[in-house]
Amino acid sequence: MSTVGETLKVLHPLVAKYLRNERMPHMACPGCGIGQVVHATLLAIDELGLTPKNTVWVQGVGCSSRITYSTWMGDNVDAHHGRIFAVATGLKMARPDMNFILFTGDGDCGAIGGNHFIHACRRNLDVTAILFNNGIYGMTGGQVAPTSPLGAVTTTTPYGNIEDPFDMCQLAVAAGASYVARWRSTDFKAMVNSIKKGIQTKGLAFIEVLLQCPTNFGRYVLKTSQAQDVLKWIKEHSVSKKEAEKLSKEELAGKYLLGEFVYRPERSGIVERYQDFLKKHQKE
Amino acid sequence: MPSAIKPGKYFVQGDEAIAEGAIAAGCRFFAGYPITPSSETSETMARRLPEVGGVCLQMEDELASIHAVGAASVGGLKAMTISSGPGISLKLEGLGWGIKNEIPYVVVDIQRAGPSNGVATRVGQGDFYTIRYGSAGGNNCLIALSPKSTQEAFDLTIECFNLSEIFRCPVFLLSDETVGHTRELLVIPQDSQLNVMKRIKPTVPPDKFVMYPLDTPGVINYPFPNIGEGYGICVSPYTHTPKGYASTAQDIQEKMARRLVLKITENLEKLVRVERQKMEDADFAVIAYGGNARPAVAAVDMAREKGMKVGFFRPIIVWPFPDGEVLQVAENVKTILVCELNIDGQLSREVSRAAKGKAEVYHLGSGGVEPHLPSQILSEIRRLYK
Repeated sequence: MSTVGETLKVLHPLVAKYLRNERMPHMACPGCGIGQVVHATLLAIDELGLTPKNTVWVQGVGCSSRITYSTWMGDNVDAHHGRIFAVATGLKMARPDMNFILFTGDGDCGAIGGNHFIHACRRNLDVTAILFNNGIYGMTGGQVAPTSPLGAVTTTTPYGNIEDPFDMCQLAVAAGASYVARWRSTDFKAMVNSIKKGIQTKGLAFIEVLLQCPTNFGRYVLKTSQAQDVLKWIKEHSVSKKEAEKLSKEELAGKYLLGEFVYRPERSGIVERYQDFLKKHQKE
Repeated sequence: MPSAIKPGKYFVQGDEAIAEGAIAAGCRFFAGYPITPSSETSETMARRLPEVGGVCLQMEDELASIHAVGAASVGGLKAMTISSGPGISLKLEGLGWGIKNEIPYVVVDIQRAGPSNGVATRVGQGDFYTIRYGSAGGNNCLIALSPKSTQEAFDLTIECFNLSEIFRCPVFLLSDETVGHTRELLVIPQDSQLNVMKRIKPTVPPDKFVMYPLDTPGVINYPFPNIGEGYGICVSPYTHTPKGYASTAQDIQEKMARRLVLKITENLEKLVRVERQKMEDADFAVIAYGGNARPAVAAVDMAREKGMKVGFFRPIIVWPFPDGEVLQVAENVKTILVCELNIDGQLSREVSRAAKGKAEVYHLGSGGVEPHLPSQILSEIRRLYK
């Protein structure tokens, strides 16, 4: 039986250049937004001249991670569920000279790994973390996430979600990350520029992407199997920071703000502070 | 260049000796979370590691610290974390990641009286099975050494680091509050007298290197390339192929499970470490480990003074359990008394299993807080001695 990749024998030039061709085709569902985010990440990597030799991809557990894991031509480190920021801390402190790009999900980062995320932001660990927010647990089959909208029907909220969703960007800003932004998977250019900016920022860069999950969010929350319906829902439920200024509190209810929420490259982080600290205290 | 090792004689706690042993072994990354009675090690590492250019972090919790330690080792630094009781329960979540990916690092457990928070400042020996079987999913064969003194805390910490490199796995130092807080003589030898392993590096190019040698499960002294060395390593919690690609295939799962167990069980002779005292003519053996070995030795001496042929046996390596050596004891004595600081009987259960009915095995347990008194053990010997 041949796979799509074997049939086509054609790879996107960025995939051919940076991803393990033997790992293609990837395992994302049809219509999933993860490919768009990976595309934007690869373009940012390419434009900045990062290489498999000096860059590591780090994942957690969930769609964001399982789909991107072991696809990067360089080193790939996949953590237990929620432990991505703890693992990234060990990696970055051991190899401060290398670039670390983290792919995490809303369950990984916002639920089971929430505390590690908060403290990585507080330490302002110099890594670029991309949050794939699909508003649901995709890999496990459509359970409610801490980012699921109020009222969402999921496999574990059959009568509707009674909890408010987590604003992960606000959390990152409050906890001290150097750079925080949110985009939609369709905001391609903004995503690329934002990821580039994040990689170049000393300290923790946190970029949240709202992306479509037709398989689970579509099926359970929106009762559709079509990616475009989910994209339409995301469009209707998101607004740029600038547009938001013109809207009332009521009009903003249940809407995601898009844009950059903080950019403070002057804020030092644990990596450079530790290097300065060693200069003072190292005896050999 | 001054040495990281500070040779000399010191009057220190076991917890401090562990930190010095780690630094002597080349540990350059430590992450922990404060917990009594292990915090003295963290404090010593916080003071000493910066001096030698290492990284010491106090993390947000036990999970973060063990995961950061595993990751730092993947990054190329020898690494260690430490905890006790309730903290060890949490650490075990991260242990599986280290086992699965064959990551060398050291975990120290300064046992205290449990379960749950128990008595934070006082001794217990209840984690014997916890560390061995606590990481979910099985398919694992843990290595754990247990010191009885400050000197051994130093020496065995170095051995734990060496074994973690040889076997490519996390290794436990299973200590307890008695050893951790006992202040006694520590002799740190010259650099040249220490046997310290360096991480083994691949000698073949990346395209020829197999990260996970699933087809040669018993192989040890196997290289571990770190990130940034051009080997494009893949580390993952999922069952993975020799390259590290996640797999759901039964044959891969089978091979991986066998690899994780057989690399240890096929090399047991390299692991056996036991102590015997007065066993040559003994017809009664007292078995204890860790800090509780100290009153046990005293009780054996007292029994000898009273003319009873009693000997002492101690597993220094507690996992894998030295079955052959315990069987040998059982074949040579009529009675074995196991003294340990738990009521449920953990070491004694292993001794009973290994003894294969060749001797009668008795359990002298205690809930902890205090180690056994030599007189308690002696009166039990007198009751059981035939």
